[in-house]
Amino acid sequence: MKKSLPYILLAPALIFTIFVLVYPLLQNLINSFRDVSLIESSDGWVGLKNYLKVLQDDVFWLSFKNTALYSVLGTVLSLSFGLGIALLLNMKIGKINNVYKFLFTIPWVVSPVVAGFAWKWILNDNFGLINYWLISLGIINEGITWLGSAGTALICVIVARVWQFFPFAMVMFFAGLQTIPREQYEAAEVDGASTLSKFLHITLPNLSSVTSVLLLLGMIWSFNDFNMVFVMTRGGPINASMVLPVLVREYSFVHFDLGKGSALSILTFAILISLSFVYLKILHKKEQI
Amino acid sequence: MKRLLLICSILLLLVALIFSCGGDSNIAKVQFWSFGGMPTMMKWAKERVETFNQQHDSIKVIQGQKSWNMIRELLYTNFSAGTGPNVMRVHANYAAEFGEAGYFYPINRFPDFDSVKAWYQPNLLESCRYKDNYYGLPGTAIAFILACNKEMFDKEGLKPPKTWSEFRAAAKQLTKDIDGDGSIDQWGLVLLGGDRGGFSYRLAPFIYKAGGTFLSDDLNNVTFNNPTSIKALQLFVDMFQKDKSITPGFLAYTMSEINDLFCSNKVAMRIEGPWINCVVQDRSPGKEFYTVPIPVPDDRINQYDTAPTLQDMIMISISAHSKYLNEAWEFAKYLRNNEADMEWIRQDMGGFPTTLNAINSTEEKPFPDFDVFAHELQYAKPWPAHPKMISIVRNVIAPYCQKAIIGELSAEQAWEKAAKEAQDIIED
Amino acid sequence: MKKVFLILLMSILAFVILTPFLWMFSTSLKPLPEVNKYPPEWTTPNMSLKPYTEMFDFLPFGQYTINSLIVAISATLLTLFFGSLAGFAFSRFQFKGKDIFLLILLLSQMLPGASVIIPLFQLIRKAGLYDTYIGLILTHTAVLLPFVIWLLYGFFKTIPKEVEDAALIDGCSQLEAMRKVLLPLALPGLGATALFAFLGSWNEFFFALILTTSDTVRTIPVGIGLFVGEYCDLWNQMSAAAIFFSIPPLLLFLFMQKTFVKGLSAGALK
Repeated sequence: MKKSLPYILLAPALIFTIFVLVYPLLQNLINSFRDVSLIESSDGWVGLKNYLKVLQDDVFWLSFKNTALYSVLGTVLSLSFGLGIALLLNMKIGKINNVYKFLFTIPWVVSPVVAGFAWKWILNDNFGLINYWLISLGIINEGITWLGSAGTALICVIVARVWQFFPFAMVMFFAGLQTIPREQYEAAEVDGASTLSKFLHITLPNLSSVTSVLLLLGMIWSFNDFNMVFVMTRGGPINASMVLPVLVREYSFVHFDLGKGSALSILTFAILISLSFVYLKILHKKEQI
Repeated sequence: MKRLLLICSILLLLVALIFSCGGDSNIAKVQFWSFGGMPTMMKWAKERVETFNQQHDSIKVIQGQKSWNMIRELLYTNFSAGTGPNVMRVHANYAAEFGEAGYFYPINRFPDFDSVKAWYQPNLLESCRYKDNYYGLPGTAIAFILACNKEMFDKEGLKPPKTWSEFRAAAKQLTKDIDGDGSIDQWGLVLLGGDRGGFSYRLAPFIYKAGGTFLSDDLNNVTFNNPTSIKALQLFVDMFQKDKSITPGFLAYTMSEINDLFCSNKVAMRIEGPWINCVVQDRSPGKEFYTVPIPVPDDRINQYDTAPTLQDMIMISISAHSKYLNEAWEFAKYLRNNEADMEWIRQDMGGFPTTLNAINSTEEKPFPDFDVFAHELQYAKPWPAHPKMISIVRNVIAPYCQKAIIGELSAEQAWEKAAKEAQDIIED
Repeated sequence: MKKVFLILLMSILAFVILTPFLWMFSTSLKPLPEVNKYPPEWTTPNMSLKPYTEMFDFLPFGQYTINSLIVAISATLLTLFFGSLAGFAFSRFQFKGKDIFLLILLLSQMLPGASVIIPLFQLIRKAGLYDTYIGLILTHTAVLLPFVIWLLYGFFKTIPKEVEDAALIDGCSQLEAMRKVLLPLALPGLGATALFAFLGSWNEFFFALILTTSDTVRTIPVGIGLFVGEYCDLWNQMSAAAIFFSIPPLLLFLFMQKTFVKGLSAGALK
């Protein structure tokens, strides 16, 4: 009885996972080798044809690049900004601290879909707040077409993502900061360490496990994040901000080609696993050092 | 803690049971999914459903209002699982896609179809046809026209353009720096770049007006790579790159942004359908504009009255998997008969009627320039009815044309590449 | 002096960061013709609370709120329940396949929603759970479990085993020990996790859209999506609905801040 207890305890969670991961993954895998489209679906095996179609699509490579940028930049910047704010909050200026802490979590609590629209409005090249402020301050003369130019669209969705995700990092880092023993700082001060030195040699190392987890989770979640990009740009202008999750939706529900959509899903999944694997390996090596 | 959970679970089970229990099994349940539409139309549809249910004891229509933007996800997910609504309000171009896939029921199989068919203006039924079958009853007809901001045009002493030269000149004249700060803040034309399908829908009328085509009659060959299309695209290329008379941020604009621009007098012309009055009045009550046919090329001015624009249609379709086909048909007819269609005349619901009875009615029209739409709809042509046409329109024509306009490709290159890809898609 | 500077800095930061949210709030009070003007105005002449009442006319948001509450609370409870069991198993036992199971949990976060939806939809339909509370609750639970398990695993790990060992010596079974000793100690952690889970379910849009169809089960995010129409978008009502919709989780965060931070710092982070 005792030996099987952990398995029994895990069973429900595993059953759920099977339904939401294993079964869809298998379905996608099977579909990726078949011709499954709304129109003229023969349901027959077509081998690697779907994968080839995806890999030969320029939009796929563009999406891959965009998704990588979105994940990496989005997560790294979120973490940096989150850490910065957490450090500020940690300076403990009294009860008012709680008010700010609460205010800073708002971007994360608000529904992502609506947040996307809010960003879209303030980035509007004619009526948006951002251009209005920039023009009023004399920084620019004409409104910048933020979401209408290939160069700036991706940057805008990344900024929106950082805005949305940083509170999560902030909260985790803030909690992490509370666990750093004061003695470490006191000892450093006795040794005459500067603020920067304290930050680099005490704060950061103590936060390393939080950071590594946040990085991994942040990247995985950003990689699969659909809402922000879809609402703000739909992947436009002309695919300049297309990311893999939005492309999966394009293939599956706009082209109605489920075979191609499944192939892309499997590819996305494989990319994520490989990246995570590499990341964890590097982490493992670091810990061993 | 565990007891609390147990109670919760039991409560949930009860609640779920209540909802999964079926009702009276003698009543034919018809699921009606109404995608999109103006709020006024949604309200009317609800009332129509209620009166239908009152008049029919053995049929119960259950209406669900659904998001227009998620229509494909909802329909495809449901159809692939063998479920979905029995009656739905969808874009007519789904006739080819869903008709071919066997998801829509060919309503011409109903015994009374011929008499029902006679209700409608004949050419408007064509949008709902695919090969030899009809896959829906025309709901509201759409013809693309040019809307010109009255205030801005009058101020310049301009008349709405009839030819491409006039169109280009008007746009140029209306593009200016109003507040004298050195940057242009008013433009002649705005394009719907943020909605790929919508973008192509606004480009196509120019090609049709110039006598161009997209697919061969047998639907097997791409025909849009020709001088006519190149000329049409070149018009926009020149307007954007040389005259700078098209709004620079158009690639991000959806209907919402365009409406804001037009109603704040930042843009003088837009290409739209019968929803324009409703949409403008909601945003700026009392705003006036001229509604004119899409301009024709200079050398076709003598065909101004009969050159076709793009026709589009929202239709009422029936799912082929419906358990209660006849009841669904009864409801579909009720939703689209002469009496129902008159509602498009009686109030401005952002659409245009499709029955001869309504179109020829002498009652007061719901919005000014109604007759312009009536006229254009006599000659308008829909997209070719190929199942892959919408895919081509959205994913091939739109991106390539947009690239040409912003200068990444030349107009010739754009059409050449688009034609090649489209041909591949058709032959796939 | 340092205090004043910090307060100033944080206030500016807060304002800048909250701009999108504040703009949404401003929009939610404007009549439609006054939304989006140039130059942008924070306040317009005819502002009122009307959009907040109009939104209830447009769609049955009262019903949607009840639905959202039922789904989110149930999903949170279920997730905590199963997550605790799993977290307990991972933190207190060594068993074959432990690493593989942990890996599988991590992997389940790696599939994009669009590729999960069709197989999931077919499953839910076959189980007769389409358009029901239970179908959506189970789906949300499944989606939230991996992260919740990871969090709880972290919390439980930091509570020394000796505490339960003492209870075992006193004659409790392992599960009893967990219930009577471990859980109370992990309460802050459970609180923090509950907040994450609630938020995840509350804001979930895509599965809720596809797996429900009638107003009696529809949740608020799906309702909000309906404001973005075919031709016209009711931005003011949509903003009002969004603000209204943000209030429950914001209140939860406001009142549970202490628990939240205490819970997280108790050690998932070591």
